[in-house]
Amino acid sequence: MTTTVEPTTPPRADGRPGSAPVHRPRRVDRTHFVFLIPVVALFTLCITLPAVMGIFFSFTDSIGFGEFSFVGLNNYIVMFSDPAILSAYGFTIGVALSTVVLVNVAALGLAIGLTGRIRAKTALRTVFVMPMVVSGIIIAFVFQFIFSNTVPAAARAIGIGALEESILADPSLAWISIVLVTAWQATPQAMLIYIAALMTVPQDVYEASAIDGASPWKQLRSITLPLISGFVLINVIIGFKDFLATYEIIVGLTDGGPGTATRSVAMAIFSGFEEGDYAYQMANSTIFFLITLAIALIQLRLTRGNARF
Amino acid sequence: MGGSALATGLSGCGDGNRTRTISFHQSKPEAIPYFRDLLQDFNNQHSGQIRAVHDSSSNLSAGFVRGNPPDLGCLNYNYEIVRFQERGAFSDLSDLLDEANIDPSVEDLVDEYPTYPGRTSVIPYSMMAAAVLYNEEIFAEHNLEVPTTFSAFIEVCETLEDAGVAPLYSTYGDPWTVAQGLVDYSVGGAMDVAGFFEQLHELGPDAGPEAEVSFSRDMREPLEKMLQIAAFSQAGAASRNYGDGNLAFARGEAAMYFQGPWALTDIAVTNPDAPIGVFPLPMTEDPDDLRVRVNLDLALWIPEDSPHQEQSRDLLRFLIDPEVADPYNEQNLAFGVRADAPDVSDNRLQDLQAYVDRAAFYQGVSVSIPRTIPFENYAQGLVTGQSLEATLRTLDEDWARLARR
Repeated sequence: MTTTVEPTTPPRADGRPGSAPVHRPRRVDRTHFVFLIPVVALFTLCITLPAVMGIFFSFTDSIGFGEFSFVGLNNYIVMFSDPAILSAYGFTIGVALSTVVLVNVAALGLAIGLTGRIRAKTALRTVFVMPMVVSGIIIAFVFQFIFSNTVPAAARAIGIGALEESILADPSLAWISIVLVTAWQATPQAMLIYIAALMTVPQDVYEASAIDGASPWKQLRSITLPLISGFVLINVIIGFKDFLATYEIIVGLTDGGPGTATRSVAMAIFSGFEEGDYAYQMANSTIFFLITLAIALIQLRLTRGNARF
Repeated sequence: MGGSALATGLSGCGDGNRTRTISFHQSKPEAIPYFRDLLQDFNNQHSGQIRAVHDSSSNLSAGFVRGNPPDLGCLNYNYEIVRFQERGAFSDLSDLLDEANIDPSVEDLVDEYPTYPGRTSVIPYSMMAAAVLYNEEIFAEHNLEVPTTFSAFIEVCETLEDAGVAPLYSTYGDPWTVAQGLVDYSVGGAMDVAGFFEQLHELGPDAGPEAEVSFSRDMREPLEKMLQIAAFSQAGAASRNYGDGNLAFARGEAAMYFQGPWALTDIAVTNPDAPIGVFPLPMTEDPDDLRVRVNLDLALWIPEDSPHQEQSRDLLRFLIDPEVADPYNEQNLAFGVRADAPDVSDNRLQDLQAYVDRAAFYQGVSVSIPRTIPFENYAQGLVTGQSLEATLRTLDEDWARLARR
């Protein structure tokens, strides 16, 4: 996923009304449209069309092929009283929220550390970005081994009774492993955005505050955070949207278990293809799409203007 | 992915001669080399007319959706395939029934699933029988006899436990192993699984925890016993997976292991001389109630959408020929499905032959539930501490909800 980050415009210092040059509607060169064609065609063919077909099938009893009949809103009605689906939403949203908090705290901390005056900055940045380039399913399988073998063995060796049983096997704790691993993978991307953000903060405001006797903590709270709040917002919203769709990490770590403790919405939807419940899960994915769409709209709205907390 | 698409694409070209290319879908990883050789034989016999291509990786659902499913399917028969069959996606093969000469008790297994009226949609090809695998050496060391009643089984477990031997190796980390082993053996040994589901299907949307036939009512007792058995598992079972289980059992780390014959190959990799025997899990106090779990490991079907019905039938006939089918079953530790199929030759499995002969078998409860209900996860939940009562209620409600839509 690529995301364009537009730095927030600093407030005008002189207080004069904005005097941006007036743009007259220009004739756009046709070549621009020609360049758009492949993308628009691919997007329509691979994203829009299947999505519309999926929404269509959510009003039927289709299993993906062959005859089907229309069942109106039945799939939606049943869905909203299906505890399996409702708990999948609860789980997914809970995990996404926890991960967002963890990722942003970790990423901001790392970014502040890595923009400070320290040795081997570039090498360290490279190390911290590594998780981003490893495929999620591989990360999940490696951590699966760590959680079910390494951690319990280490806990036995040093005598921490509580950790001797793998947390993957505990229905009330398994979600923590998913948050940890997802956060481990997602932190670098957020960190890169924060590093870029910290570089936009002019050095002289720090110098000025230092002269006034501000402590580093005060500088962080009163200068850094307010000036990069737009980036925080972007990281939170993009992160939340991404974490809602977490799939491969859960498959590799717990496969939805123990029991159904870690079944996410994406897993429920995917099961519809393999398990002959196509139309029903299409209804589910339509709802899921609307939720993601709402988040995307909020993001667009907030990042268009000067986003401030 | 492109296997079947490529195959149908090729057949369309027709490069002058009349060779038809058909795709044969078979995805059992351990059998891929075997079937590759078989297809080679078939192609040699029919050179210039039919060329069969082995497809082991394309996505079935996608094939049916696109209208180009494989020409001949040879897969495990369960709800994943039933959903196609139920909607009439398979051609009628009733004219091949005489030739196939399927044992009636095996034919019944197909009919335990929903069927498409008036059609013989699938021809069974191979059946696997599973029961409790046990380490004969450990049993002999502790002077233990193979138990034939539930109380004797519990005694065996207690003796082993007192001697410091793990009675049972469990792998709760893989939900399917819990479902096919502990749960299926316990329920199948205690009650008539097929009869239960027949009644449940008849109830339709009236099913539920309060109905006269329900998971809550009928499966409670067998599953309580299952939990009693599960408690004899080795320490740390919750984070062990199928691979761990095969390895540990091969090394003799536990006396019993609830897995099917498919695990034997893997176990033999670690320990080719593992002293392994098999017995059905006793769930009652009557040795006559003993039964083994079976599944239709392979069944053949030809999609209606296949443009090569005749050629696919030729391949099907070739495969069900006793001279081709019998060696397959022998080599893959499976049981034949013909009325006159030879006995299983593997000496570890010979003890199961008597049960198969008198049809003292059942299909597991885990494969009798449409896959949209995450039964394997529920099974895993049970052994990792979820409430039995709540799980049974959930199952009843899931079943009723599914019947309503």
